[in-house]
Amino acid sequence: MSTSANQTSLWALAAGDSAVIASIDGHATDATSQRLIDIGFREGQSVMCLLKPGFGAPRVFAVGGATYSLDRATAERIKTIKPAS
Amino acid sequence: MTNLLLVGAPNSGKSALFNKLTGLSHKVANYPGITVDVGTGTLKSDPNVTVWDFPGTYSLNALSGEEQVAIDTLKTALRSDDDALVAMVWDATRLEKGATYCLQVARECAQAGKPLVVLLNMMDVIESDGLDVDVSGLSKALGVPVLPVSARTGDGLIEAEAALLAPSPDLAPWADTPDMLIAGTANQIGDRFAPKGDLLVRRQAHIDHWLLGTFTGGVAFVVIMTLFFQAIFTWAAPLMDGVESIVIAIGSAVASVMPEGIVSDFVNDAIFGGLGAFLVFAPLVFILTLIVGAMEDSGYLARAALICHRPLSFFGLSGKSFVPLLSGVACAIPAIYAARTMSSRQERLLTYVAIPLMPCSARLPVYALLIAILIPDETALGGLIGWQGLAMSGIYFFGIMTALLVAAVVSRMDDTTSSEQAFILELPPYRLPELRPIISKSFNRAMHFIRKAGSVIFAVTVVVWFLGYFPNGGEDLSTSWLAALGRFIEPVFSPLGLDWRYGIAIIASFLAREVFVGTLGTIFGIESADEDPAALADQIAASGLTAASGLALVVFFTIALQCVSTVALLAREAKSSQFALKLLASYMVLAWIAAWLVYSLASVVLT
Repeated sequence: MSTSANQTSLWALAAGDSAVIASIDGHATDATSQRLIDIGFREGQSVMCLLKPGFGAPRVFAVGGATYSLDRATAERIKTIKPAS
Repeated sequence: MTNLLLVGAPNSGKSALFNKLTGLSHKVANYPGITVDVGTGTLKSDPNVTVWDFPGTYSLNALSGEEQVAIDTLKTALRSDDDALVAMVWDATRLEKGATYCLQVARECAQAGKPLVVLLNMMDVIESDGLDVDVSGLSKALGVPVLPVSARTGDGLIEAEAALLAPSPDLAPWADTPDMLIAGTANQIGDRFAPKGDLLVRRQAHIDHWLLGTFTGGVAFVVIMTLFFQAIFTWAAPLMDGVESIVIAIGSAVASVMPEGIVSDFVNDAIFGGLGAFLVFAPLVFILTLIVGAMEDSGYLARAALICHRPLSFFGLSGKSFVPLLSGVACAIPAIYAARTMSSRQERLLTYVAIPLMPCSARLPVYALLIAILIPDETALGGLIGWQGLAMSGIYFFGIMTALLVAAVVSRMDDTTSSEQAFILELPPYRLPELRPIISKSFNRAMHFIRKAGSVIFAVTVVVWFLGYFPNGGEDLSTSWLAALGRFIEPVFSPLGLDWRYGIAIIASFLAREVFVGTLGTIFGIESADEDPAALADQIAASGLTAASGLALVVFFTIALQCVSTVALLAREAKSSQFALKLLASYMVLAWIAAWLVYSLASVVLT
């Protein structure tokens, strides 16, 4: 079982790496978290970092067949765990 | 009369489907009982059915106030008691994305007793990629009819229309489902029915790797933006000139059959002259909407927003402000329209604040004249650098920086315009733009501008003409009421070292900035000042305009919102005349203060 200790934020994911969404900060209590859930960033979903453009630009993530770009503050709301390999 | 409500997430192909169903008969109207503009058209196969294209949202949970309006509109329409039919457009390639939204709409429909049909779009992509979606299983799980369609190829549309027009009396079984269960069911539906494999994502990621790469992305961005400006100036300029010549030709023809006198002058100068001055914007709106539309359709626009997000966020703006600001370098009018794609009202208002300061093309002739007066036509470094060209670049840079800095100050001062919003942007798949719908949209937007902004612009034109024409019948501008007004306000401009002549030219230039050149031409007796600014520049230089006053004029024109078209459209699009008038007044005061500071400083330094 995973503990919160090995959870990392989505922002920390390396380009090309996948992880499973563990939790979203402020789960469903604020509009931003609700939107993330509504578009597919749900607990248990697999998410992949496709690209990390330079200069701190928003990064590109694939979830549920769609591709989204999230800025740092938003991506850091999403906690992920590495799938057991 | 039956209403068909088309609902769906952004990038689900809803508008493409709308175009196929209605045959591009798109116009904008108020849905009965609701005062929010919604795209509308008539069903091609049955003129008794009106199709309503509701704004795309990701779910019925709003992220911004603006989205809340769109969602409330949809809910009110769903609950209104006419016999409306509801079609949910759902992208089969990205089922997870629309699952919650689809179930929420199904619940709303069931509660309102309205039939719902799900149109599972982009089935052509599913097939061409060898993927599979269990359509009948999905239909069973949802409890509503699901029809596979392709808005792009038109496949499945005949069956879909038949199903829509003969709705089953059974309602979706979600009327009493609480939110938690909706979310859980959406999860399950996504897991069970979404096409397996990430072929689509990988294909897109491959292109993104180049277009968003740190180095290659930057190069691609510069190349694409250069092409963007090239296209605007090479395509729009001849169209604008063409419109102007046609209006002038018609005006002269009409005036020539009239007896000479005030009526003929009014028709020629006020009606056709004024009409020409604002009609020239219509082709610019058309071309810019066309190019921005093609960029949006291709998927690149979202990438450009991503690239610009961080630099713009330093100034309180977001990546989504990029295209409106960029369009503003050509003209504020299409730029204001381009801001429509921004979902947050706060972000949009802040973008509106910045747009009028972007160095638009109407300022170009003014800058050209002032540079010709102030800067010698000489080169340095063996002809590599022209001082006049360098001055022009400097003025453009000054304008852009002013726009960004004002946005930064306003966003920090005013909480209602600060954009603390999370940046969540879907990157739609790359594809070839479909030209016909974009052309149709661009045409509609140009017409919208003519209809909505025309009356205000025309009224102001007539007033300025009237002041310039009387009391001496247009014989001598320097003895007209406009000149009297110029002398009356001379104390306003004298601290900048400018006399009444510049006062008149500045007042007249509120019609459109470039009018400044023509008006000064009239006053200084150079008839063809628009075509030959050099002669006017010599005349003005000889009349003793100081370099400090010239610089003050440059600064004034960089900041002042001298464009009645922009003010009229801002009032309309921001749905607040107060906002537009406040901006007009603020920029006038700011322009004067900045010009005075520069004048004072330059007077000391240059003497």
